[in-house]
Amino acid sequence: MKRPRADVDSEGRPTKLIRALSVDRISRLSDELLLRILGFVPVANLTACLRVSHKFYQISSDSQIWKAAYYNRFVRPRASRIPRIKDAGVSNHLSYSSRLSKWLGEGDLVRNGQETDWKKRYKLRHKWSKGQCAVREIPVSERASVPPLLARMHDGIIFTTDSISGLRAWNAKGEREVIASVTLDTPGNGTTRSPTSLATDLSGRDTGNQKVVVGFNNGSFTIFDFRKQDKDFLSLFNHAPSSNGMLSALAYSSPYLLTMTDGQLLSLYTFSDSFLTPPRLLYSLRSYTVWPPVSLAVRTTATSVTASTAYALPTYPSGWTVGIQETRLSPTGELIESRLATAADEHFHSLARDPSMLSPPTRPSSPFPGHTQESVVSDNPACTKPTSLSYSHPYLLASHPDNTLTLYLVTSTSSSLSISAGSRLWGHTSSVSGAHIGGHGKAVSVSRVGDELRVWDLEGGMASSAVRRRFMTGNLSVRIQPEKAAKDLSDLSDAISQRGSGLGLALEERFDDPSVTRGWVGFDEENVIVLREKSHGRQSLVVYDFT
Amino acid sequence: MASSSATEAKNFVMLTTSDNADIKVEREVAERSILIKNLLEDLGGESGEAIPIPNVNEAVMKKVLEWCEQHRKDPPASQDDDSDSRKKSTDIDEWDQKFMQVDQEMLFEIILAANYLDIKALLDVGCKTVANMIKGKSPDEIRKTFNIQNDFTPEEEDQIRRENEWAEDR
Repeated sequence: MKRPRADVDSEGRPTKLIRALSVDRISRLSDELLLRILGFVPVANLTACLRVSHKFYQISSDSQIWKAAYYNRFVRPRASRIPRIKDAGVSNHLSYSSRLSKWLGEGDLVRNGQETDWKKRYKLRHKWSKGQCAVREIPVSERASVPPLLARMHDGIIFTTDSISGLRAWNAKGEREVIASVTLDTPGNGTTRSPTSLATDLSGRDTGNQKVVVGFNNGSFTIFDFRKQDKDFLSLFNHAPSSNGMLSALAYSSPYLLTMTDGQLLSLYTFSDSFLTPPRLLYSLRSYTVWPPVSLAVRTTATSVTASTAYALPTYPSGWTVGIQETRLSPTGELIESRLATAADEHFHSLARDPSMLSPPTRPSSPFPGHTQESVVSDNPACTKPTSLSYSHPYLLASHPDNTLTLYLVTSTSSSLSISAGSRLWGHTSSVSGAHIGGHGKAVSVSRVGDELRVWDLEGGMASSAVRRRFMTGNLSVRIQPEKAAKDLSDLSDAISQRGSGLGLALEERFDDPSVTRGWVGFDEENVIVLREKSHGRQSLVVYDFT
Repeated sequence: MASSSATEAKNFVMLTTSDNADIKVEREVAERSILIKNLLEDLGGESGEAIPIPNVNEAVMKKVLEWCEQHRKDPPASQDDDSDSRKKSTDIDEWDQKFMQVDQEMLFEIILAANYLDIKALLDVGCKTVANMIKGKSPDEIRKTFNIQNDFTPEEEDQIRRENEWAEDR
């Protein structure tokens, strides 16, 4: 009766306990039943289950468990944040509806169907939410180029261009080396030209190839086809130099290309599928109100093409605000409408908890007397000129040298265009030099000096109660925490023992040399890429890998 | 009265367990089991014959019926129950918790019986009870609890641990 191990389980009756201890009943259950049991185990505990035995490993890795965990943690909360779904009372019964997933912009989850590795997906989202990643630097240039190196990332490929090395494609995954490169000399006469803008085709046409367009200081531009299979660039179309001057910004959504010159001349082209015939200039507009930084975007729907320019705008007396110029055309090129909107900035929404962060109101009287007691609405603090703008409809994100970001929501319907009042986002401890916002309201921002990168989840904007709640608790953004890359077992144990204080220290050393982060930052599902400028003009891409 | 005794007969069913024990139970209670409910419907409920339950012995059947008695008035399980039960995680109501304070042999027998008899709510209570025994334990503690043989080499186990470190931080 009194076996030494009888005290392991105090609940069991000793006689039964002996029998219970001798037989492994749980492993004899069918896979379905064990799966059902493990489905009730929290994710944090599943890691222990993985290591129990081969059978446990197999069942704990099952996609069904991770799919449920993924939906519960990442999809269901989003669904309940979207009013129409919540009001319809669907969220309670939301499980794996493919229709809803599409609606929520998670269509890729459904499309991949059986092949989706749910555990991998869960891991990726988890690490994003924690800011956990591995860091890797790719030196791209030994000396500074004039004009500076440009970089874009699309679908796991980083494209860089500068006058020295031409256009290059880098693999953001695995070895992270140059896959393809091409010189940018003008075809024919060999005169050099310098790249001043770069854009990738965002139309999402899945051809296995990726179109990239490079704009130059002489007003010319070239469209390249990056062929993944052949690992090379094919020049598809070369536009002659133009007297309108250097191309400062581009947006490309095949077959539409939007260009902007230094002189604020905006042009929208459409290309034939074969690129054999010259492009058609659909629309051209010179703007006198657009100030850099600008962010161009092309959106297409079945009935219209929308070309938009988001720009910074000086105002008096409140400093800087943002504006959007939007041109809507029919697919054949007839102008439907051209309209402008600027942010509603008189009542700058400032959700600050710390009053010291606010500048004193410049005007004592509020246009809405009686509402002055509601401290969330204050007069516009002097808004500094944005260092960068990122527009991914409906989100418009501006970064500022005063350690803050401003988020605007753009409403664009067939009848109106408007920009919400901006919401200040705090979190950075030094000047923010760049920010990039993606489709789901996920944003990444980077500070100019040091290594501070933050990931933001801004879905729904400040009007969303979930965002506001997290804002109040200081959980709106998470600082990216690079892990030490573990090469082998001994390295790993080092890394583990260094976890906590030691790791932060190692990280600071890493960027100890006076590196400056230029404005550019980009991300895709798995990586954040930052362009970093080191001493003596050396430039490197820093890849933050969340996989 | 003849009619009342007929009703009474109709309201009870006889179950024969794997060890040939006959158990008389109210039909409403027995019908918590979808398997028995469907069987009774197929038989028309008139024959009064004992229903053989060849996969469940008397002790387990009595325990299962005890649960069915307690939960006889519960609303029937909804169709898309999976997502709902997941959401409620491992919460078990007090009576069920007490009910599940049995040795492991009985616990797994109940799970198997609930699965066979198609009593989803009881199956979930059983699975949640086991999940609670796993929660917060190290792999070694889990193995000890359930007497599971570790068939990993130390290297294999270490590799799995490294690959899945990310999930532990929550």
